[in-house]
Amino acid sequence: MPLRFFLARLIDLVVVLFGISIVVFLMIRLIPGDAVAIMLGANTEITPESIAELRGRLGLDRPMIEQYFVWISGVLQGDFGTSIWTGRPVSEEIAANIWPTIELTLLSVLFGAAFSIPLGAFMAQARGRGSEVAVRVGAIAGLTIPSFWLGIVSIFMVSKLFPGWQALGYVPFTQDPLGNLSRMILPVIALSLPMLANLSRLVRSAMLDALGQDYVRTAKAKGAPRRVVVYKHALRNALIPFVTSVGVSAGYLLGGAIVIEQVFAIPGLGRLVLGAISERNYPLVQATILVMTAGFVIVNFLVDLLYAVIDPRISRR
Amino acid sequence: MSFKTLTMSLFAGTMLAGASVAAPLQVAIDSSPAGLDPHLITAFNSVVIVQNNIYEGLTAIAQDLSVVPALAESWTISEDGKTYTFKLAAGVTFHDGTAFDAEDVAASIRRVQSADIASPLASRVTPITSINIVDPLTIELGMDAPFAPILTSLSTVAIVPAEAETNKEALQQVPVGTGPFKFVEWQPNGFIRLEANADYRVAGKPSLEGVTFNFVPESATRQVGVTSGQYHLLPGIDPATALQLQGQPNVTVEETRDLSYTLIGMNAERAPFTDARVREAVNYALNRDEIIQGALFGAGVPAGPLSPALVNWAIDTSEYACYTQDVEKAKALLAEAGVTTPVKVTMPVLPRQDVRDIAQVVQQQLAAVGIEVELVNQEIGQFVQDWRNSNFDMFASANGGSPDPDEYFYRTFRTGGSTNVFKYSDAEIDSWLDAGRSETDAAARKATYDEVQTKLACQGPAAHIAYGNYFTAVNAAVQGFEIYANGRLTSLVDVTLN
Repeated sequence: MPLRFFLARLIDLVVVLFGISIVVFLMIRLIPGDAVAIMLGANTEITPESIAELRGRLGLDRPMIEQYFVWISGVLQGDFGTSIWTGRPVSEEIAANIWPTIELTLLSVLFGAAFSIPLGAFMAQARGRGSEVAVRVGAIAGLTIPSFWLGIVSIFMVSKLFPGWQALGYVPFTQDPLGNLSRMILPVIALSLPMLANLSRLVRSAMLDALGQDYVRTAKAKGAPRRVVVYKHALRNALIPFVTSVGVSAGYLLGGAIVIEQVFAIPGLGRLVLGAISERNYPLVQATILVMTAGFVIVNFLVDLLYAVIDPRISRR
Repeated sequence: MSFKTLTMSLFAGTMLAGASVAAPLQVAIDSSPAGLDPHLITAFNSVVIVQNNIYEGLTAIAQDLSVVPALAESWTISEDGKTYTFKLAAGVTFHDGTAFDAEDVAASIRRVQSADIASPLASRVTPITSINIVDPLTIELGMDAPFAPILTSLSTVAIVPAEAETNKEALQQVPVGTGPFKFVEWQPNGFIRLEANADYRVAGKPSLEGVTFNFVPESATRQVGVTSGQYHLLPGIDPATALQLQGQPNVTVEETRDLSYTLIGMNAERAPFTDARVREAVNYALNRDEIIQGALFGAGVPAGPLSPALVNWAIDTSEYACYTQDVEKAKALLAEAGVTTPVKVTMPVLPRQDVRDIAQVVQQQLAAVGIEVELVNQEIGQFVQDWRNSNFDMFASANGGSPDPDEYFYRTFRTGGSTNVFKYSDAEIDSWLDAGRSETDAAARKATYDEVQTKLACQGPAAHIAYGNYFTAVNAAVQGFEIYANGRLTSLVDVTLN
């Protein structure tokens, strides 16, 4: 892989993160009600002096540009600041909440991607048959049903059918592997179903396209078995749009994870950032969004690299 | 909400019996607390974890709202009512193993009074002017004038270790108290876990192995959790959720009259509400029964200035003339006050479902007398800011109540009171409130607060709307849970799990 290709992508990453840092910094400050006001809430023993003192301690009394530079120079040195509410380093709070989100997103991508290929291939080959129509209708349903609804309904179903199933909350895999997986099944399904539906439809049409190509007819003509024709010749060429789509979906899954974490009471980044926004916990919101953005950009970066592996022509360009 | 209601009813069939549940008790609340320092917290989700579980005060509030001994075994009051002498429980230790004595009590009261700590509880102990440690288990609290509510107030002042007196941060993260449960761990956004305090001052208690407070933001998830037995207790659920959970197998919904209430506030410094007749007209325009039916599903009673839970104090609302809806009378009062209708006003609304629903009914009722209300639905931060800065014509909100009338009235309606966001100022009310504080004769005190209630009910700056019911859903595995009107989980010390 040429170094230039790699460097160009790396510069993209830096530019995007820099832009996001400015946008997030401004956005959270544009919402009415600042951290100090919300922190004090209905606490009536607070004097204007103590408000001013707290503002000064948090650095909120300084001009916004100065606040930004103080923050960004800290970030560049690896210091994300401290959470306004708990006084703990932001990096610690993120570290405590990042694993559930990573696990949820990764499992969902794997689940969605893994099942979409056979499903899509099946739909392409069995086009027009009753079973294919059923799967296709299911795919459309999966695409249109919102994840959070699916999540809530699945919780109801499971609590009715398997009352002993621990479906809510989160336990680390290292602590209780079975408990971890049993709690992950429902959120993963709820989160990945729209992706699965989308990808399988994409695989279907890409496969249909590929199956009609000359090289497939050639492969058939030389007597290659049907499996080989479908999975080796047709599928590999259908994979490029598929990989792009997986990359983009992975980014959306991060967004969907926020909702799903809410429904299944999973202590992940989504819960963290939602809570931080309503508390106006500026350093925490800024850092969490930066981390999630970095995650999104890095996934896309990896997708670009994957292209080069699937289709060597791309990196040579 | 309606959407959740739909899914709820779709799947609210017979649920199978829950599988066996393991201790500790699992409680589900909607969000993670901001902190756990008992002298700094105000939010329900902090208080419900901390008070009476991790920390105790000198006194405690019993289920019937009477004051009972806690860390103070007994007390005597001097003839002049200015000195209270507390005899402290012996052999009590904090969760970190240090012994509890009068020094800790003194430090805790000083901590709450300190301007540097800026505790929201400060006004409850400001009357205490001298703290005198007689011996390690006896402490004298002196006041310049008799202050009748002090025993109630002291129940809200948690006793913390003396070393914490000047530390603003430590207790927010790691609380150290004397209560039946001690803090173990806090997984941010996940849960807070408490375990039984083996050295609790009451031998043999608590029976539970521990209590875990799970943070579950989604209401539907909490509901399924309690029916399936994954959660044992959902404290403080809203009326709509309570309605859905009632009749589910495995779950009982406990309810009690809430000490907190919903209200419509009026800005006494902004026209037209500067005129007491306009405020009276608003009361005549409202139909509280209709509001309770429409917005609270019938679970509530019309609110006077004091909760009917304060049986010794509250006047029955049927005695207030303005509590019977009279549209003509309201119009006449508005005309008398020189208000040309229709008059347009804005009303910020607390972002809570029951309050939003109430505000809509109120909007319709006020429209009938020519007050056109524009509802302003705000996000909580903005609402609190406007409320604090008195930036409203009217507002719709909810307030917590307290077991003594002075605690609520003085700060809310006294000129310059710390939560008098209405900018209300009335010489008569001020003089009654000053008298009520220092009066120790119960009958005389009652008479004074009768005057206060009567005047505030119709002409005050707050139209008290309804005391809702306070609901807690309890899974069948839980034995011995009792609901408290102040929302505290005081009875967890006696609870057992099947």
